[in-house]
Amino acid sequence: MQLEILTPDEKVYEGEVSSVSLPGIDGGFQVLNNHAPVISALTEGVLRLVSTEGTREMNIKSGFVEVLNNRVVVLIEGADVK
Amino acid sequence: MSGKLKEVKTRIASVKSTQQITKAMKLVAASKLKKATDAIVQMRPYADKLGDMLGNIVSATEGEINLELANERPEINNVLIVVITSDKGLCGAFNTNVIKQAAAGVKAYDKQRQAGKLSIMPFGKKGMDFFKKYENVNLITDYVDIFKGLSFENAAESVERILEDYTAGTFDVVKVAYAEFRNPVVQNFQLRDFLPIARMEQPVSDTAAASKSKADYIFEPSKDVLLRELAPKILKTQFYSYLLDSNASEHGARMTAMESATENANELLRSLKLTYNRARQAAITTEITEIVSGAAALQGN
Repeated sequence: MQLEILTPDEKVYEGEVSSVSLPGIDGGFQVLNNHAPVISALTEGVLRLVSTEGTREMNIKSGFVEVLNNRVVVLIEGADVK
Repeated sequence: MSGKLKEVKTRIASVKSTQQITKAMKLVAASKLKKATDAIVQMRPYADKLGDMLGNIVSATEGEINLELANERPEINNVLIVVITSDKGLCGAFNTNVIKQAAAGVKAYDKQRQAGKLSIMPFGKKGMDFFKKYENVNLITDYVDIFKGLSFENAAESVERILEDYTAGTFDVVKVAYAEFRNPVVQNFQLRDFLPIARMEQPVSDTAAASKSKADYIFEPSKDVLLRELAPKILKTQFYSYLLDSNASEHGARMTAMESATENANELLRSLKLTYNRARQAAITTEITEIVSGAAALQGN
């Protein structure tokens, strides 16, 4: 599935991933391929993505995620790429 | 005669050096403008997506959306006007025009001003300098220096402060005077309503929402919570776009101003050179006349 991570200042990530773990406002959750459409609020925490290049983690600020048709869009106010 | 020559020569030199400065300033403004417009372009996908998301949530919500930030208050006691100007001058009528918008806002809330309940929050020094002279106005100068290091983080912080004050009832209405960026030569000076949020209409872009609203989204934790979280984010994004727009407009205005200054200097140089050549020719003619008449006098002997 496609993952896109956007902040107001830049596009942090765009590419094919197999899984994303996100810090939801009511607890963390993971998005895998063919996930049902969802819009969720995110809180500050760690985002972990798994792609063919390996696992990456970043600290993110609060924001939102939208999952639709194997497209994951993460909108956050800022990110620290580790 | 040589006195006049010298005078014109020094004037030419001084105009030339001024022109060099305006030329350099134009180039600097052009590169800063490039950076500023890049920032606007960078932010666009985020802002668009945020708007889409709002559209998705709104279209999935039936009935009235109840959002505190969108409710108009029955009585307007306290007013805040945000003025976004530049720190530096030499950018034509840019600051004057922004201030004109803000002053119109001040005029419209004269009643609140007389009661001492009108506040002005300048972003950028020029706005502060102007409204310092106003009586009966509370000046909030915490964010004057925002353009020294403009980032979303700084902008978000100021919006959080405004939202906090608004929710606490310190302000009932918030307006923003800024310059919308159209292109490098055209700015659109505006006084926009910031709070309360203008009534949320059904989806911003109908087609995008129509195709997407078919998807049966799961809303987590709930639509209400999402909307409550989304509203401040959208306000921050909007405010940040005002700041970025004003910043780009400023550099555009300066570029245009410096360009015409350089052109004016060219014009001036041309006429000065003409004067210089005329004076020089006059000096030569006089000299020749003197020599010729001197020679004629000698021959006469």
